[in-house]
Amino acid sequence: MSILTANLKHLYQRRGLWLVYVFLGFIVFVSIAGTLDKTPKRGECAILMMSMFFIGFLIATLPIDILAKPFAYCLPGHRKVPRKFIFSTGVAINLLASLIFLLYPVLYLYWPHRIAVICSAFFAGMTLYWLGVGSAFIFRNLTLWIPLLWFSIFGGRIFDLHIITERVIVEEPAVVILVGALSSLAAWFWLDNDGLARRYCARAWVGFLDIWNKNKLQKYKQARAATKPDKDKFKCHLKPSVESFFLDRMNKCDYYGPARHIWGRLYTSFGILLSKWLPALSVALVIVCVSAYFPPIGFFIFIMAGSMMAGGNIRSVYSSMLITVGRNERFITALTLAATSVVLITIPVIIIAALSVLLETIMPDIRLWGKTFTFEAINMRPFFVALLLIIPVISTFQLIFYRKPILGLVFFMFMFQLLFVSVIFWRKPLLTVIANPISIAGLIVLSWVLFLLVLRYVCMRRCLVGQG
Amino acid sequence: MNNEKQIVQMRKVCKRFGKIKALDKIYLEICAGRIIGLLGANGAGKSTLLRHIIGLYLEDEGQCVTFGCKAGKLGPEELGRIGYVHQEGELLDWMTVRQLIRYVSAYYPNWNRELEEKYVEDYEISMKARVGSLSPGQRQRLAILLAIGFEPELLILDEPAAALDPVARAQFLDLLLQIIQAENRTIIISSHILSDVEKVIDHAVIMKEGHILLDCSFDELRERFCQVRISALGKELPAELPFENILHCKRSDGQAILTVQDCPRERLKEQAKSLDCWIEIETLPLEEIYKIVVS
Repeated sequence: MSILTANLKHLYQRRGLWLVYVFLGFIVFVSIAGTLDKTPKRGECAILMMSMFFIGFLIATLPIDILAKPFAYCLPGHRKVPRKFIFSTGVAINLLASLIFLLYPVLYLYWPHRIAVICSAFFAGMTLYWLGVGSAFIFRNLTLWIPLLWFSIFGGRIFDLHIITERVIVEEPAVVILVGALSSLAAWFWLDNDGLARRYCARAWVGFLDIWNKNKLQKYKQARAATKPDKDKFKCHLKPSVESFFLDRMNKCDYYGPARHIWGRLYTSFGILLSKWLPALSVALVIVCVSAYFPPIGFFIFIMAGSMMAGGNIRSVYSSMLITVGRNERFITALTLAATSVVLITIPVIIIAALSVLLETIMPDIRLWGKTFTFEAINMRPFFVALLLIIPVISTFQLIFYRKPILGLVFFMFMFQLLFVSVIFWRKPLLTVIANPISIAGLIVLSWVLFLLVLRYVCMRRCLVGQG
Repeated sequence: MNNEKQIVQMRKVCKRFGKIKALDKIYLEICAGRIIGLLGANGAGKSTLLRHIIGLYLEDEGQCVTFGCKAGKLGPEELGRIGYVHQEGELLDWMTVRQLIRYVSAYYPNWNRELEEKYVEDYEISMKARVGSLSPGQRQRLAILLAIGFEPELLILDEPAAALDPVARAQFLDLLLQIIQAENRTIIISSHILSDVEKVIDHAVIMKEGHILLDCSFDELRERFCQVRISALGKELPAELPFENILHCKRSDGQAILTVQDCPRERLKEQAKSLDCWIEIETLPLEEIYKIVVS
């Protein structure tokens, strides 16, 4: 087996990439579905090419992961393997992806033009791919890029970036091919750099797929902390008043009763959030604006934030830090925490909705790239309903897939895609369900009952740490 | 052991993780006041056993009882008597050391502030530092402090010195010796660093592949295994030495070094005398005993 073949095996051996394949499958589906209506210049063909930035980003993390280990790629014949790996994968993926332009509706007349556009798509993809590869090599903590991924998905659609990209690919193939060829050439020489292995050897680094790798994140944090000045090491994030508030409540309760544990868990879950109320308020104001001007993005941000908060909190069930919390106390505190999360998320939703009503009359319209965005008061109902549904569902996922979060996410994305397909094929019956308050209430009750049962099972019957 | 107060009883405890049998029919009784060394290679089942004692794992078969309560049903009162230093090193990173100590101490009515202060001073733990910015060694020291601050009756140390440097390890052993002074405190210590463990334990449990190979007092263990050096006085040593239970024999120029199991020392001396040999009997270090037992 050649060295390159051994490295290419990472593409299926690295389980985190399975998630990317599900995601990529979804994009391919959307792109093909978008071209089926034969309406030209809708931008669906370019979505796949735009995703090459993240593909490059992810593909580059695999050799970097190996480079960061001591003496990796130092043996004779190994030095050029990262370049070969990144290039061969990039070329193969972009070749396949650019074929989507065969479906581009207006290109059936002239074959030369069609070939030029496919080449253009290939090189546009390669350019974005190299941007992703470069970013992965430059930044140390790639998990910070996850919000950018979400923004590119939703922001790209709102600002019609996919339509603009598609237009450039179709209308300016020569320029795109030139830029793509030059960027590929530059990348080819840069990746041949002799010092690559030396520079990345034993580098503290967190890859895109390491978000759930506790040990690696811990090592990265410690390596970062060691390089930070003392003032950062001693920077306290928790306000004394918040600490006193919770400790006072704890100390007023019986040592062995559940109330002390509930206050303790609320402290560890929301202490930081309450200490940082000013930044939290600023974020809330930004969300008001985003939600009111661009409703889908705002809705999505809010649901994501709520889900992450609820999901993160429920993981405390599996804490190995032994205090006087027995299995029964874990159950009670986790349940209280989930209910508190709903309340704590609902309050900002109400404030945000109320603020948007107040601001509706004074906020001006925004014009961006020829589009006008109007500030509209936020309808609180969908937020609230979605949160009531999402919090127990996400928490249940977190409980079930605690040790294999990647599987949980793959499953969640699969469900999301199923919903997406269902909307296309069974739009009417689905709308009937969504519009019916009784069915929605039933769904909410069902999700909470399911969460309760899973939580009870985990707390009473499952191993709470390690591999069990 | 049965006459003493038992605080942990494991009867026929089995635990599987998929196809791997992590614990296989474990019978173990831990009496109050013992300092127990839990020894074994990686994957022997040490941590799994310890996690059963505090109810973080539940047995597939059998029963584990701690402080008279089924381990899975341990409540705050029983858990308030157990200190646990674990391998994961999970702490609340966003708190400062002082905040974390205050938070953890709020769960225990008998938190010892004097011990806390002494320990903080001895170990040079910075109270103002954020937990997330501590080095692995400092984190481990903090974890130890949190586990002993309320003077638990049962202290479980799962690889406590793994992340400590030699100086900190020596300090930790000193501290452990101080803790041991308290009557009726039971300590279970699992460690790979056997030279450290043998300084403090009075009972040894050796595990391999989910089984307990040996469970006896440390003195008994040291009695059972010994190294014998025999030197011929004037003449050659016989080709076959008449000792029983020889595990290992190395000969050179009228001298033999034997590793012997279950052979009383007086008898060894008598046999050496009958051979007209000079005999020197040495106790084996724990590391050597461990190697013999697991092999």
